[in-house]
Amino acid sequence: MITVDPWLLITIIVGMFMAWTIGANDAANSMSTAVGAGAITAKQAVIIAGILEFTGAYLFGKSVTETVRKGIIDPSKITDPNVLIYGSVAALLAASLWLLLATKYGLPVSTTHSIIGGIAGYGIVYAGVSIVNWSKMTQVVLSWILSPIFGAIVAFLVFKAISRSIFQRRNPIKSAKFWAPVWIGMAFIVIGTMFYLKVLHGKSLLHGVTVYGTVIGFMAFLTSFFIIRKRIFAASSDPYLGVEAIFRRVQVLTSGYVALSHGANDVANAIGPVAAVYAVASMGIAGMQVPVPRWILAMGGLGIAIGVATYGYRVMETVGKRITELTNTRGFSIDFSAATVVLVASSLGMPISTTHTVVGAVVGVGLARGVKAINKDILKDIVISWFVTVPVAAVISGIIFKILMFVG
Amino acid sequence: MQVWTKLFAKSPFKPLIKHAEVVIQTVETLEKAIDYWEAGDYETARKYAIEVDQLEDIADRIKEEIRDSLSSKLFMPVNRGDILIYLHMQDKVADAAEDTAKWLLVMEPNTVSGEIKTTLKEMAEESIRVAKLVYKAIVQMDTVIESGFSEREIENEYKLIKEIESVENKIDELDTKLMRLVFQNAKEMNWGVGIYILNIARTLSNISDKAKDAAERIRLMMNK
Repeated sequence: MITVDPWLLITIIVGMFMAWTIGANDAANSMSTAVGAGAITAKQAVIIAGILEFTGAYLFGKSVTETVRKGIIDPSKITDPNVLIYGSVAALLAASLWLLLATKYGLPVSTTHSIIGGIAGYGIVYAGVSIVNWSKMTQVVLSWILSPIFGAIVAFLVFKAISRSIFQRRNPIKSAKFWAPVWIGMAFIVIGTMFYLKVLHGKSLLHGVTVYGTVIGFMAFLTSFFIIRKRIFAASSDPYLGVEAIFRRVQVLTSGYVALSHGANDVANAIGPVAAVYAVASMGIAGMQVPVPRWILAMGGLGIAIGVATYGYRVMETVGKRITELTNTRGFSIDFSAATVVLVASSLGMPISTTHTVVGAVVGVGLARGVKAINKDILKDIVISWFVTVPVAAVISGIIFKILMFVG
Repeated sequence: MQVWTKLFAKSPFKPLIKHAEVVIQTVETLEKAIDYWEAGDYETARKYAIEVDQLEDIADRIKEEIRDSLSSKLFMPVNRGDILIYLHMQDKVADAAEDTAKWLLVMEPNTVSGEIKTTLKEMAEESIRVAKLVYKAIVQMDTVIESGFSEREIENEYKLIKEIESVENKIDELDTKLMRLVFQNAKEMNWGVGIYILNIARTLSNISDKAKDAAERIRLMMNK
């Protein structure tokens, strides 16, 4: 970077705006079940989400990103570096505006799909539909279907397992005191493995799981086991209330787990295009993949944290007052399943959407007869909004791109 | 508006429990009315009978609210149709109490034997028991769901259902006994008083009849 390129500056600002909307809409949605179940207050959620979204983005965020997210268009067809810059700005702006609109109407749309739509939009305007990598696009469409299905299956199994191992036992509280730490341990196996793969840049997944994952997971199990064991949870009256009380504590942890996985998975949506423009500005060219400087990851994380603090706070506060029907074991099943699916899938390089996974997890617990009433109508609205996300973001992006090309 | 608040709809079980509470009150008030009626204090009996009528109205209103909120668009762990029929039956318990109260006020009999009166009184007491059991059963249904349909809680629910059935049996026997008593004492009563007593007995036994139907629905809810 010789002098500060004004377009780089603009891209960073738009990227921050995108990160802000991710924090405002998406992060708040991911944490809502924990707030709704009364595990944490909206204020605590903001602090947890702020710190852990940032940590997730900074530590576990992709250190190398595709020039165009998920290789959705073929960058070799872009010969003019300015196109990449204008395009990135257009895609970011379009995705942010769409997310903002969705936030206003309270729809949990996917940030991943918004940015993909944005990129495809400018690509098509520039070089026609042939520039789009349709097999990649098919993968993305598949993830519309797969993320909620994975979320649902895992949440169904987790809730069934909790019901078998705790509720069905003669002494549910005693069982919960053993099994709750086991779940915490499992979450930390995933976190530990991610730490090995992403922070220490380890190569062997097996080594990561067996050494880092298992050790960290076991330590987390022991620590939480001894903390929970000492406490007394309303043993006398209702054992199920006692179990819920234990999981209320556990949910504080899993809500952080969700924030961490969300930061890791979704930060790339905001900073991927920024990194591409940075590569063009500093090196003049851009290949298929560009390195992402740590400071750009940090800025993305910061943007998300600010989004959570400024707008997400309000979202979570309303949610906390309204969902009273969601108990902690259910909230836990949703959180744990969604976060695990997202972390594992994103480390395998699958294009997965946090939002879709969470909604899928809600349905999964419902199918396990765990939720007293789910609004099918709203479910329908959500699914429809998923299908319009890519086309709408594409159209907005195309228009912005045209204007930028015209002006620039 | 946030999607999560809309996605999770209100549980129908809390209002169902509320409705069951009103049903208990209705039956308890009816028992008071029968108490005073037995003692010959028709004035006070009338007051309580009117109260029964008012409580039944409240139960009706709660029933309407629950029906309106239970749209077919809800995805629930139990069948919506079962909930609606259950609610209908639970409401019929209050209806039957109201019917009994109405019949009580039809006349002020002075020729009813002590044994008939005590039998009616006994039936009223058993009816309260059955109403309280229905309340317990719907609270237990909520617990069954809370526990993720745990075997033990389902077992406890079956126990309550069986208890409701056994009380219903007992009231049936009392009803039969009363019919016999009326005809045995036919000489001391005119036909009007006979019809009067038999109708009170019929409506009273209706209370436990409907309670049994409600319990039957809970069994179906758990099986889904």
